[in-house]
Amino acid sequence: MRNEDLIGELAAGLRPVRRMARPGRQAGLWLALATVAVGGAVAVHGLRHDMAERMLLPQEVLQWTASVVAGGTAALAAAMLARPDRSARWVLLPLPALVLWFASLGWGCLADLVRLGPMGTQIGTSWGCFKFILAMGIPLAGAQFWLLRHAGAVRPGPVLVLGGLASAAFCSAGLSLFHHLDASVMILLWHGGAMALLTLLGWLLGRPVLWRRPVGRATPQHRD
Amino acid sequence: MTRTEGEWEAWMAAAQAGDARAYDRLLRAALPLLRAIARRRIQNAAEAEDAVQDALLTIHTLRHTYEPERPIRPWLVAICERRAIDRLRRHGRRGGRETPIDDFRETLASPGANQGEVRVASAELRAAVAELSEAQRTALGLAKLEDLPLAEASARSGMSVGALKVATHRAMKALRKRLGAED
Repeated sequence: MRNEDLIGELAAGLRPVRRMARPGRQAGLWLALATVAVGGAVAVHGLRHDMAERMLLPQEVLQWTASVVAGGTAALAAAMLARPDRSARWVLLPLPALVLWFASLGWGCLADLVRLGPMGTQIGTSWGCFKFILAMGIPLAGAQFWLLRHAGAVRPGPVLVLGGLASAAFCSAGLSLFHHLDASVMILLWHGGAMALLTLLGWLLGRPVLWRRPVGRATPQHRD
Repeated sequence: MTRTEGEWEAWMAAAQAGDARAYDRLLRAALPLLRAIARRRIQNAAEAEDAVQDALLTIHTLRHTYEPERPIRPWLVAICERRAIDRLRRHGRRGGRETPIDDFRETLASPGANQGEVRVASAELRAAVAELSEAQRTALGLAKLEDLPLAEASARSGMSVGALKVATHRAMKALRKRLGAED
């Protein structure tokens, strides 16, 4: 089929469509959903008993704020990148908060090491953290991918990574509100590990949602 | 181009509302742009045209994601670039797995192996020639293989010119029939 004929066909079969919400609004919608979901989990578990003291420590506040900002900016960047005409540079938006967050955790590890010595910060297991981030993060990432499923035709890769990252960052921030993990190395290991896994899972599980054939029908054969 | 400032955007906004004429106009107006993008990326004209087709179908699928307050050209360009790159990648992958054998006279390492077809054909020809009558074989050898003038062939074979003509004609007909060139 010639492309001129295809245009005729597409125009002849045209149906009105509902314009998609702007990316900022889509990100806001997802953030509201994530806040309700994670907030609900925090409400069920109850805030950790030392919450008030923790929130007086600037480093703790910085760390927590950085994780929330990383989640929010990753969600906004994903929504932007899902549109064909938005700049690819949006992918850089969550980087400062992410770097700040992990630098703060790394700094915490060093501080623990100095304060308690090498034996003071033994690495334990915290499967609870892992499970929470995955159990809460997978549905949230799924919601993100469904909301941004139009990205599949143009830029699926970065949207999958950022969507997974946004979900993981929010879950980690929520988890910090009710779960006791004092040693920074533990947070780095278990929160960071779960986030990396969730981002990877998002990539793998999100592919079928986003990575469908970019066009609505099989590759048509056309030759004049 | 300045004349169409804002026109394409308005057409797309109308198309989102279901205006088929505006949509038709937009896609036809954008077609040269899409073709230029595809041709810049893909050398093969047919392949580039396929990429344009993919781009048109993607534009159709994604038309609800266009925001009318934003310029439409970057949106169209990004989609077409993407489809052209996809085509190139698919082509590259396919090209990596397949080798076009038509370009090569020899396909196997052993020289004898590549002559199999020729050998089979010549064996068939020999068998077909063996089935001809003595007179037909002689006439064919002189008139067609040695390409002698009829008078000389007649002198060499002792057959009359008329008999040579008939024998050559019959021999050719028999061979054609035998080798499947004629039903």
